[in-house]
Amino acid sequence: MPTIRDAVMRVLGFARRRTVERRLDDEMRFHLDMLTEQQVRAGRSPSEARRAALAAFGGLERFKDDARDEYRSRLLDELGQDTRYALRVIRRNPGFGVAAALTFALGVGASTAIFSVVHGVLLRPLPYKDPDRLVVVWERQPGRGNDRNVVSVPNFEAWRARARSFERMAALVPSPATIGMAPNPEHVMGAEVSPGYFEMLGVTPALGRVFARSEERDGGGDVVVLSDGFWRSHFGADEQVVGRTLSLDGRPHTIIGVMPPSFDPPQFSWLNDQAFWRPFVPTDDNRGWGRFLLVIGRVKSGVPVGAALREVQGIAAQRATEDKGNEGWSANIVGLSAQITGDARLPLLVLLGAVCLLLLMAITNVANLTLGLVRRREHELAVRRAIGATRGRLIRQIMTLSAVVGVAGCLIGFVAALGGIRALVALLPPETPRSDSIRVDAPVLLFTASISVAAALAVGAVAALRGGRNGVASLRESGGRGSARLRGGSLVTAEVALGLVLTVLAGLTIRTFAELRSVDLGFDSEHVVVARVGVSGPRYRAPEVRAAFFAQLLSRVRALPGVQAASAVSTRPFGGMGPATTIGDAASAETADSVEADVRYIDADLFRTLRVPLVAGSTFDTHDGPDTPPRVIVNRTLARRFWPSENPIGKRLRVPMFGGIVPEVIGVVGDVHLMDARTPARGAIYLANARFPMDALDLVVRTNADGASVVRSLQAIVGALDPSLPVYGVTMLDDTVGRALARDRFTAALLGAFAIVSLLLAAVGIYGVFAGDVAQRRKEIGIRVALGAPWGGVIALVMRRAVTRAVSGVALGTVAALLAARAMRSLLFGVGAADPVSFLGVATLLLLVAVAATLVPAVRAARVSPLVAIRTD
Amino acid sequence: MAEKERGDVLQGTLDMLVLQSLQLGPMHGWGITERLEAGSERVLQVGQGSLYPALYRLERQGYIASDWGTTENNRQARFYKLTPSGRKRLADERATWARMSRAVDLVLRMGEG
Repeated sequence: MPTIRDAVMRVLGFARRRTVERRLDDEMRFHLDMLTEQQVRAGRSPSEARRAALAAFGGLERFKDDARDEYRSRLLDELGQDTRYALRVIRRNPGFGVAAALTFALGVGASTAIFSVVHGVLLRPLPYKDPDRLVVVWERQPGRGNDRNVVSVPNFEAWRARARSFERMAALVPSPATIGMAPNPEHVMGAEVSPGYFEMLGVTPALGRVFARSEERDGGGDVVVLSDGFWRSHFGADEQVVGRTLSLDGRPHTIIGVMPPSFDPPQFSWLNDQAFWRPFVPTDDNRGWGRFLLVIGRVKSGVPVGAALREVQGIAAQRATEDKGNEGWSANIVGLSAQITGDARLPLLVLLGAVCLLLLMAITNVANLTLGLVRRREHELAVRRAIGATRGRLIRQIMTLSAVVGVAGCLIGFVAALGGIRALVALLPPETPRSDSIRVDAPVLLFTASISVAAALAVGAVAALRGGRNGVASLRESGGRGSARLRGGSLVTAEVALGLVLTVLAGLTIRTFAELRSVDLGFDSEHVVVARVGVSGPRYRAPEVRAAFFAQLLSRVRALPGVQAASAVSTRPFGGMGPATTIGDAASAETADSVEADVRYIDADLFRTLRVPLVAGSTFDTHDGPDTPPRVIVNRTLARRFWPSENPIGKRLRVPMFGGIVPEVIGVVGDVHLMDARTPARGAIYLANARFPMDALDLVVRTNADGASVVRSLQAIVGALDPSLPVYGVTMLDDTVGRALARDRFTAALLGAFAIVSLLLAAVGIYGVFAGDVAQRRKEIGIRVALGAPWGGVIALVMRRAVTRAVSGVALGTVAALLAARAMRSLLFGVGAADPVSFLGVATLLLLVAVAATLVPAVRAARVSPLVAIRTD
Repeated sequence: MAEKERGDVLQGTLDMLVLQSLQLGPMHGWGITERLEAGSERVLQVGQGSLYPALYRLERQGYIASDWGTTENNRQARFYKLTPSGRKRLADERATWARMSRAVDLVLRMGEG
């Protein structure tokens, strides 16, 4: 049984390692001696003969290797040897080991953390059946650059009835409601959805049923489906809940089903958490409400999204001829996943790109460190090569070294990333979609593993191919003498280029953030409490009652201690999209000259409370009531637009709301950023809530007292007026404004951190290269000093190399940074993608870093004693 | 590692040649290369890179055995000698070789009528 004997011998081979080695050595030495003798007999001198014998022998080490093969399986053995060798090298150079492993850990940890966020938010498929066939269908106004507009009920009905490309189409509309009874009313967010919505997503209820088609035909009915979270918090996870009732806005609704905990409804910026769903049913009433629906469709499998788009656009063209209100409107389709990730996509991709650059820098630095180590052992490598170790074997040893460092670094990095992800999720801007699906799972682990392997291989390859070169050549060429070429020069260039790209991106986003912060928002958000109060139910059906309720509420709030001013507005600044409409100057022809303007319903004291300057005219007063002629206050932009050189007071606007009104302009106020700091203020009109009473208003209260106590008093006042009304959406206006900048702050903070790390890495890397360079050229420098080279001359000698490399790095990095900045242009504000200040500043910074990192080695060079010149190796 | 061994022995025949050279009596590695070179009128040159692995392999397979001995000029060297199974293997290989070389010869003579 030869196989058994083979196996036994192999085991014996391991056990008898030393015996085998000795026997090999002795046998080889004898052979070599015999060869040498033969050469001497042939007439050569003994030393010549020895060299010839060595050459003829073709390398002692290699044959030992080959012969050893007969005793054991070689790869495994060599791997073990190489690993032991690597550990020995690291033990003897602990500084190298720690620096390399930590740098690796930094690169791998940061990339893993960012990738897990990118994967959770952008890459993980939405939790629905065939999510890539789900799309959002928008209306669109090509003439106004308005690509994604909510949809009117008649248009939704037309699309749903006529389009053949869709399996299903469903409408979705936010539906807030007050639940519960006095004295503990609560405001919760839900949604109205077309029956068929859940089937379209491919989700089924955990209990009961969802809406049936008949519910739409029969006009809905008061039925409701609960979310798992709401069912647990408000019904104690009662299994018998189906059939019970839930009061929504004072009307009892029958609970027909509960969704499973795994159901994560599609979320949009204005529709996030959803506690319940009610059926949405088109009615004659809501067909006249204009555009307010979100429409989601499932494209039939096999139908390209492009074909579906062409079909709905065709239907939209028909609708434009059927209804005058559809003139200038078309349709648009956006993938559901792209719609949901929307604005979060680009910043995250930028961060992912940046962290990849950081990883590259980390790899460059570790490669640099390893290269330095290999070069310090160059003489040893050359000797081993000369006595026959193969080039491949030396390369494998260097690769094993980098793999050992890599494994250690990746483990540390991964553990750090686990903590980092948690911190990162906490830092994420609050509106980031799908942040709850960020976790470390198989794809993230796979990513970490593959970048780690790639990083270790890259380090090993650089170190082996560049560092092994001399070791692989011959003993004669090396020997510690310095070469004129700067070794590691291209690494310096790479470090500078990568550092420049990262720092420029950071500079641009930080300047963007600063610019956004310095935007004059047009109002003073400090010390302002905001809270929303809504009235509902039959008691408030009459507009006068609503107006009287808010008037009374405000007068009581104004009487509170510490309240300086109090007012109300239909949608608070930075409170999301409010109503808007097309306004015209009543003096000019119908369609000409109209502009899109925001509309807000306000209490007369709003401008004083928010400290918005009244530029001309006056605000509303007691003359504005339910039956008075409508009056309007416009912002400066709108006034300039219509009456650039005339007094706007007393002019009239044409407003197509409330069946078309022509209000008189009584005042002009400063422009206010209603949406966010980034969007420039556009035309806006303010109508009196006393004249057009809303059913929900944001109270704005300027106070020098503690915000929380004001809120408590406010709740007490509302409770005293009507205990069934909830107070919700309570914030400090300052916080709302700050939150609107959260994403810019997040991007700027992370990129800033990356930039700082990259500058450190660049400094350390460049220092390493030049420290090695100076050490290697000690003799040459010594000769120069001996010949009388001045102190400054020696420093300049070293510096010149650094600056040359740094300048080419700056050139390379600038080109890359220009491209990168162009790609992220839409994230920038108030600063150009090719902003010369940022680019020049960062280039100077990188040059300074390079010079600073070279200074220590240069000074060390200048201190080299001329005695070095006469010492031999 | 593109290093060409000088005068390679035909693939697969090295074992047979080594065994044959030991037919003349125990010998160390160096002596085996000399025997082979001399015996082939210096046509065949065995590289050490092939020889020693072959020797170790043959020993492991039990066809040869080895022990330390003293050379004619009083040096320690490892001497290899044929085992009985080695003799049998040599006979087998020789028979196979004879059959093969006759076959090749026949083919080469086909054109000569």
